[in-house]
Amino acid sequence: MRAVGSSIPRVDAVDKVTGLAPYPGDIDLPGQAWMKIVFAGVPHARITRLDVSRAQAAPGVIAVFTAADVPVNEYGLIMPDQPVLCGPGSTPQAQIVRWEGDHVALVVAETQAQAEAAAKLVAMEYEELPVVTDPFQALEPDAPLLHPEEFPFPYGQRDRRSNLLLAYRLRRGDVEAAFAQADVIVEAEYRTQAAEHAYLQPEAGLAYVREDGRIEVIVAGQWMHEDRAQIAHALGLPEEQIVVRYPAIGGAFGGREDMSVQIVLALAAWKTGRPVKTVWSREESIIGHHKRHPFVIKAKWGATREGKIVAAQMDVTSDAGAYAYTSTKVLGNATLMCLGPYEIPNVHVDARTVYTNNCPSGAFRGFGAPQGHFAAEGQVNKLAAALGMDPVEIRRRNALREGSILATGSVVPAGCTALDVLEEAARRAAESPPEPPVTLRTSLDASRRRVAQGRGLALSFKNVGFSLGFPEHCHAWVEIHGEAEMERAVVGCVGADVGQGAHTVFAQFAADALGLPVEKVELRVEDTDVTGSSGSSSASRMTFMAGNAILGAAQRALQAWEDEERPARAEFVFHPRPTTPYDPQTGASDPNITYGYCAQVADVEVDLETGHVLVKRLISVNDVGKAVNPQQVEGQIEGAVAQSVGWTLLENFVQENGRAVTQRLSTYLIPGVADVVEEIVPVILELPDPQGPLGARGMAEMPFIPTAPAIAAALHDAIGVWFDELPITPERVWQALRERQP
Amino acid sequence: MSSKVMVSTHLNGQEVTFLCEPRQTLLEVLREELGLTGSKEGCGNGNCGACNVLLDGVLVNSCLVLAVETDGRTVTTIEGLTPPDRLLPLQQKFLEHAALQCGVCTPGFIVSAQALLEQNPQPTEGEVRRWLAGNLCRCTGYDKIVRAVLDTAQSLAGDPAQDSAKEVGR
Ligand code: FES
Ligand code: FES
Repeated sequence: MRAVGSSIPRVDAVDKVTGLAPYPGDIDLPGQAWMKIVFAGVPHARITRLDVSRAQAAPGVIAVFTAADVPVNEYGLIMPDQPVLCGPGSTPQAQIVRWEGDHVALVVAETQAQAEAAAKLVAMEYEELPVVTDPFQALEPDAPLLHPEEFPFPYGQRDRRSNLLLAYRLRRGDVEAAFAQADVIVEAEYRTQAAEHAYLQPEAGLAYVREDGRIEVIVAGQWMHEDRAQIAHALGLPEEQIVVRYPAIGGAFGGREDMSVQIVLALAAWKTGRPVKTVWSREESIIGHHKRHPFVIKAKWGATREGKIVAAQMDVTSDAGAYAYTSTKVLGNATLMCLGPYEIPNVHVDARTVYTNNCPSGAFRGFGAPQGHFAAEGQVNKLAAALGMDPVEIRRRNALREGSILATGSVVPAGCTALDVLEEAARRAAESPPEPPVTLRTSLDASRRRVAQGRGLALSFKNVGFSLGFPEHCHAWVEIHGEAEMERAVVGCVGADVGQGAHTVFAQFAADALGLPVEKVELRVEDTDVTGSSGSSSASRMTFMAGNAILGAAQRALQAWEDEERPARAEFVFHPRPTTPYDPQTGASDPNITYGYCAQVADVEVDLETGHVLVKRLISVNDVGKAVNPQQVEGQIEGAVAQSVGWTLLENFVQENGRAVTQRLSTYLIPGVADVVEEIVPVILELPDPQGPLGARGMAEMPFIPTAPAIAAALHDAIGVWFDELPITPERVWQALRERQP
Repeated sequence: MSSKVMVSTHLNGQEVTFLCEPRQTLLEVLREELGLTGSKEGCGNGNCGACNVLLDGVLVNSCLVLAVETDGRTVTTIEGLTPPDRLLPLQQKFLEHAALQCGVCTPGFIVSAQALLEQNPQPTEGEVRRWLAGNLCRCTGYDKIVRAVLDTAQSLAGDPAQDSAKEVGR
């Protein structure tokens, strides 16, 4: 049996079911001190004085660090617009707090309790600054400015007198002329909310100075070489001086893409010479890391009587929050994905992302594609309804296929399977008609309980790998041991296993290429010293990128084995085909390496008394190219759908005037085993991606994307109301039901 | 800092005596004082079940129990449930069904599900879901977890006739 394609248990499964797998918070180092990070607690202010003298004098305190202690007091994944510590004593821009979760001081003490007690003694004197939390207000000329300062901006010129972080546009054909010819036009405004990752392991980590004088940071992240680069930058040290190590990682979903505790741990360990540990509470995690972007998308689409979409005009605004994080990248995706997987001859997209005093927005499974598709698929479903056309049929007539031209003017990469997932979803749906309502589901008298049922469909695409000219690559090496016979192999590839099973997949690719059993493959995945960068565990890229890198290294190692080298070792850096950035005027580009496609059908039941929505069944058809580990692939589909149903019906990160209101898992609700979805049906298609390793495509974000528009369409089918704003809570449904009444 | 209290507990089959502050939770003492890090802190206030342990055989959130409350009582954690040189049938089924991803929720689910199977060896799917409603998982979508628990029950019963009974229960 070949290793690729078999559902072997995860390589870390035994450690995880026994509780032995070490997450950062589970690790202790001899002689360690504890660190408490003091958050600003105000959304916009100028700190005039930070008095740490009482904290310094508190029992057990080893040191208190402030802005003055940070060698290069700035950081950021895309651009360094965020101070490591806010407060006086460093740059003028570091004196400003722009978000309640900004860090102002680090208290290092002998015990956790002492660090916490002393942290309360840090006294911050500040002048409040006006707060802006609405991206449209933030664009007004008199709005308070978040970032009038200068910092290296990788997209040309930035207007420092505006809160506009970045704008993109796409222009194709002539939308006005096309609207004039269209038989039907639908217009709507879609709104999506901020959402929290709620990975079950809050941020934690340790740092210490090793015997060789280098600083080692043990943390849970998504891209260890990027963590290393940002730590080195802020500490003013060469990257070789830093080692980043990932033990077990308790979920990520994009939420660990940016720095949380990495830099400050390194700083504290380096300055004190002690091993330093910190663990965030759930509240600190929710206040202290970024969220899914809220979007407002104004859409106007036109089609002919025959169901051909002739024009799409989109106006897209996202709230970036206080710092850039990955907002510009998310905007790049949303700019294209708000058109859905369709070939549309006339397109006009204006998209922008805007600074506010809200919690920063950033990466979260789907990276702008879920928000974009909520609008695109909403529009297609509305066009179908207006034309009296079957939702499958309208998609058949417009979906991308081999040779289709995207709105960027480039051809969709070969291996476009939008129609395949669509047809399979249609077939599966036809096979399983909605079940009749169950008579007794509540304590109410069954005869009085009124429900309505509906079915909805949506289709989606999502890029695999980083987009728009990013220099994508992934390192790996393979070492074969043995004499006459191959005995075992070692694989070095440091892509993060955030829970998605990347390490198991690495072993499967290597075993497959070398013809060894998986147990004979040893993994070296632990730190930045093992090999060069593998890139981030995001953008559904790790199987695709690391798979190609490991196959390349294995092939070369096999050659060395043939040449009698013992051990036979080879390194390989995989570079996918290059992409190009948007043209600033027209958006012309070759934006993405390749795409993954997904179609879903949702069956819902609406309680007409309470507005409660139950997703009875959700069929998710995903083309994964090649399922390296089918069971793990199913797990990704089921997990993505559950998260997306949470986003669609339940989850809402509420902020008031720049302060987080939903700070706990009792107020920020995520789906539990008894709510929300009754049955998820994962359907895997294996239509090879010509660029993929053994045909594999990225797949982990894709099943998140069509869920919300599929549910919205099912609700329309059930009760005749379009819901264009998320989350679709029982209150909103109930309100709509009341308004619907004559 | 308040003075420490001496607590004696029957922990994972052994008599254990430790010093703790009255404010410390059982979870904190397990993790920080006794080095038992299999119980996880996902929330610290009773919402996620990642810290679940058995107290006198009853399932509790160890983040909501004060360590001093365990004096003279029996505490079983994931470390105590796991046999020394093999896996529980339930743990084995979690592996086979891929009922875990990041794994932070997993010890809590194992402790909870084991407690269910001990008092109700043949639960229906509805019973499993209701029992596990206090355990959050952000990765799996729960289905594989529920299957793993039901399959464990079935294999322990060793009676294929149980299948149809469960389907009716669903
Ligand atoms: S940590 Fe105890 S219930 Fe979440
Ligand atoms: S496996 Fe990650 S929370 Fe359950």
